Amino acid sequence: MSPRTTPARAGLAAVAALALTLTACSGGSDDGDGSSGLDNRTGAMEDYGVGDQFTATEPLTFSMLFSDHPNYPSKSDWLLWSEITERTGVTVEPTLVPMSDYEQKRSLLIGAGDAPTLIAKTYPGQEEAFVSSGAILPVSDYVELMPHYQAKVAEWGLEDNIDQLRQADGKYYVLPGLHEAPWQDYSIAMRTDVLADLGLDVPTSWDEFRDTLEAVQEANPGEYPFSDRFSDGYPAGSFLNVAALGFGTSAGWGYDNATWDDDAGEFVATATTPEYRALVEYVHDLVADGLMDPESFTQDDDTAIQKFVTGRSAAISANAQSVVNDYEPGLAANDPEATVAKIPFPCGDAGCVLNPVSQLENGLMINADAADSPDFVAMMQFVDWLFYSDEGQEFVKWGVEGTTFDKADDGTRTLAADVDFVGLNPGAPKHLQKDFGFSGGNVAYGGTTDLLWSTFSDAEIAFQESIADYDMIDLAPPAPLDELEVEQITLIDTTLRDAVSQGTVQFILGQRDLSEWDAFVADLESKGATQYVDIVNGARERYVAENG
Amino acid sequence: MTVEKPRPAAPVTSRTGTLLQDSRGYQVFRVANVVVLLGVVAVTLYPFLMIIARSFSSDTAIRSGQVNLLPVGFNLTTYELVMSDAMFWTNYKNTVIYTVVATAIAIVLTTCYAYVISKHHLRGRTVLIGIAVFTMFFNGGLIPNYVLITSLGLKNTLWAIVLPNAISVFNLLVMKSFFENLPRDLEEAAQIDGLGTYRILWKIVIPLSKAVLATMVLFYAVSFWNSWFAAFLYMDRSELFPVTVYLRNLIAGSSSAQSTGAAVADVAQVSANIQSVTMVLTVLPILCVYPFVQRYFVSGVMLGSVKG
Repeated sequence: MSPRTTPARAGLAAVAALALTLTACSGGSDDGDGSSGLDNRTGAMEDYGVGDQFTATEPLTFSMLFSDHPNYPSKSDWLLWSEITERTGVTVEPTLVPMSDYEQKRSLLIGAGDAPTLIAKTYPGQEEAFVSSGAILPVSDYVELMPHYQAKVAEWGLEDNIDQLRQADGKYYVLPGLHEAPWQDYSIAMRTDVLADLGLDVPTSWDEFRDTLEAVQEANPGEYPFSDRFSDGYPAGSFLNVAALGFGTSAGWGYDNATWDDDAGEFVATATTPEYRALVEYVHDLVADGLMDPESFTQDDDTAIQKFVTGRSAAISANAQSVVNDYEPGLAANDPEATVAKIPFPCGDAGCVLNPVSQLENGLMINADAADSPDFVAMMQFVDWLFYSDEGQEFVKWGVEGTTFDKADDGTRTLAADVDFVGLNPGAPKHLQKDFGFSGGNVAYGGTTDLLWSTFSDAEIAFQESIADYDMIDLAPPAPLDELEVEQITLIDTTLRDAVSQGTVQFILGQRDLSEWDAFVADLESKGATQYVDIVNGARERYVAENG
Repeated sequence: MTVEKPRPAAPVTSRTGTLLQDSRGYQVFRVANVVVLLGVVAVTLYPFLMIIARSFSSDTAIRSGQVNLLPVGFNLTTYELVMSDAMFWTNYKNTVIYTVVATAIAIVLTTCYAYVISKHHLRGRTVLIGIAVFTMFFNGGLIPNYVLITSLGLKNTLWAIVLPNAISVFNLLVMKSFFENLPRDLEEAAQIDGLGTYRILWKIVIPLSKAVLATMVLFYAVSFWNSWFAAFLYMDRSELFPVTVYLRNLIAGSSSAQSTGAAVADVAQVSANIQSVTMVLTVLPILCVYPFVQRYFVSGVMLGSVKG
């Protein structure tokens, strides 16, 4: 069951469309004048650079759209808020929105011209709907005010990633969270005790994965060894996304209608490529051989979890949290001997690769009106310190040294004895997120690998280390669309995605024979696949002509 | 009318109350009817019973798929946990206040409007009906509504929830139809006795309209109790949310983040038993209202629907 997907997404699309049309009339006054806010220096520091603690020269207040998490709802007396004020002289006024419908309300507020100054929890790509309205600040014009941000981008080599954010005007409108290295969370979890009993090694490639499933099935005939979940939004969305990397394509959650073909030097329609077909054939064989449960593409998460924890299946898609929260407790109740672990990210024909897109995390948009505010420069400095300085990132994740955590001489952080977080201090009376507001997700994103791993379990660190030396796939070169092209693409995109999703599942489940693949490709082309890549290629050529 | 009690072996009393033997076809129909309706009852009750069973079960038992209709790992600690959350009660209190105030205002406004447009001699009556019906087909849309409510200064107040939804056109038309069917003679007699329009409404019409009023109270109360969208739009502070927003965040929040492949901190892992307990506590009061209003309910809707 997906309780929110359909109405929420439909509503979101409608609101975003309205936001475009309505604010296009009133907004846009700052677009042409990128330097308008630079003189608004109330409260700003004169010499603010890398390593400096930002402290406003006079008390300031900034409003912030805040996604309220059901597990740790915001409290006004959180140490997070008071400590921010203590350190920076800035009071943050959160506008609370339930996490369940955050995106819809964000669209509404921006569309109505009523958005807070800082708009948190914005994933790269989500800002595109608002760009043409002029309601969102082109932050790329102002990054010179953000020394920590610029330093991290340069130090971690993120220029190419950042270029992906640029719109047709060459500017970008979202400040993303930055990771030092790509971070792959989703993979496949397997019953390691079952593998050990059968004398099997943990598979390291997709071919080995299939062999392992075959061996498990031989020992346990009549059951599907792999029954998958995460079909919310896209059938087997996580598995297809993960598997596509090894096959050199994109699918599932990560599906994109256009893929950059380096040899041809142009974008091609993803689902028409041989790589995509190879992926579909691989998954088709898994299902045809009875290794993968056909219900993987339709069942809800709970059903898949129950099959896994009751021992009917031995493999399932997973992220770090699902292993700890969904699988281990259920398995423990049914079979105390059972063990489960995420397997190292399987390699494929395309090698052992990860997607560097994961170096960009959700970040924030800024209301365009902010540039006219007298404290604009101070606000950018504040954002720079809180989101991008080492001190700021450690602070929003771990809290206050001596109160919520302690730091050893070698840099190892440990939670204070009376504070719990992700089960690190079970039984402690206070909770880092619930009682203090840290590690909350609205500001606590990105940072060094050391910081990211600092709250991981040993099992998760082992998984991350196992993929640390993987190669990165090449990022597609920038091809920012102009307003008209965005409209054209939007018209085709959903139809095409639906056709691809439907065709993919039909081929996988054997409802459509693979001999009809050419007809499938022709059908996609008639539904706009060719037009789609033509538009993207046109945008690419224009970008190259204008920017080199 | 007295019905003669049949002896055990005697023929079953027919639907007309006589001692005639029901036809075989009718007997078969009754059996099939009972079976089908029992099936419907089972299908309708099953989710409720399962939620109740889950609310008393341990989270591990739910996650491992052991809970069906009876609790496994019976405990009350989840109830204690949910009920000890101050925000839950704050939101709960808000729901009660919003529902009571909104229902009261909605009943007064709907009754007045319906009474007026039920009078055929009123000039401009069709315009008044037209205005109401127009809103069934067209509305300003989300953003204009939001801008309106905000400009009126209603944001973050009770009135943002109460006023925009004060008149449901469907309920209005049901009530209008009901008032049209009241005997005109009664009102004319009252008029001759010297009563004005308002006192006729208050002294004659309202006392005769208990059935439809009870139905309307039920309709409005249930819809205000269940509503979350207005509060979600117009409230910026969690202490102003009704419990439905609290509940929605608890349930919908847990699946939304995962579907986008979001990072660990986003993924709400609200225990299944906490979700169940919150659901039970949220539907319980409005469920309790039904039996008290039900006897008016059927007659109220029927009265309004038939025009004689």
